[in-house]
Amino acid sequence: MTRSPAAKRYNRRVIRLSLLYALFLVIAVSGFNRGLLHGLVAYFAAVLPALPIIGVFGAIGLYLVEEQDEYVRMLMVRQSLWASGFALSIATVWGFLESFDLVNHVDAYYIAVLWFGGLGFGACVNKLTIGSAAGQG
Amino acid sequence: MTVAKQSDLTPAQRAHTRRVLWMLLTYAVVLPPLLWLHAHREVSNTASLVMAIAASLPVLGIFASWGRYVSDEHDEYHQSMALRRIAVATNATMGAAVVWGFLQAFGVMPLVEAYWIPTVWVVMQGMFGCIEFFSRRSAQQ
Repeated sequence: MTRSPAAKRYNRRVIRLSLLYALFLVIAVSGFNRGLLHGLVAYFAAVLPALPIIGVFGAIGLYLVEEQDEYVRMLMVRQSLWASGFALSIATVWGFLESFDLVNHVDAYYIAVLWFGGLGFGACVNKLTIGSAAGQG
Repeated sequence: MTVAKQSDLTPAQRAHTRRVLWMLLTYAVVLPPLLWLHAHREVSNTASLVMAIAASLPVLGIFASWGRYVSDEHDEYHQSMALRRIAVATNATMGAAVVWGFLQAFGVMPLVEAYWIPTVWVVMQGMFGCIEFFSRRSAQQ
């Protein structure tokens, strides 16, 4: 399948952001492991790896704006909606399991991991309901 | 006045509003006794599991209602506005969760219950809805 120019730009952005994420994560982890980071610098270093992931969400938003093929865009919108429903539902159930002392607390960034997993779930739903998974992510 | 306000809503919006109000009412009725039981009685793990799922069901119902609304809404303008709101709320919530998550992971911030994430999502929806409303009003004036 030929990718649209918007999809190609999206892929390029995500690859760059992923490389940046790996770099920032290594910097932050090694800084904390060596005990070099304190005070405000610690906050800044902790936030550093989050920025490229936020950038990926931005890239998905840009892709939705730039994609000219309405059908492909509709598939991606559906995928994103399923991903949001999937991630938020699991976060809700997990949150109540935490407050009833049944499971441990988890780091909040796992919600983003769930959301990206939810894109796969959304692609399956698209395939089952309208016969085409398509979209990015 | 009420009639005028009702006519501003599309049938899908009215159905969504009704569903959400029912879900919120169910949530308000179900949650306090569950919290009381958890705090004051010795409850088995299985019962706690059932209680936790019972408390989350109305919230899951609200998310399902949003999905149903987007699919039922025939007015393309309202549908695109709802999709924009959802996209903005999701991006802002995921951004906040990722930042908070890394602050937790590096021990700079405390761990919080995961249901705060859907709470932030709902608040973001409301905030963006307000921004849209006021920007539309100022554009009309």
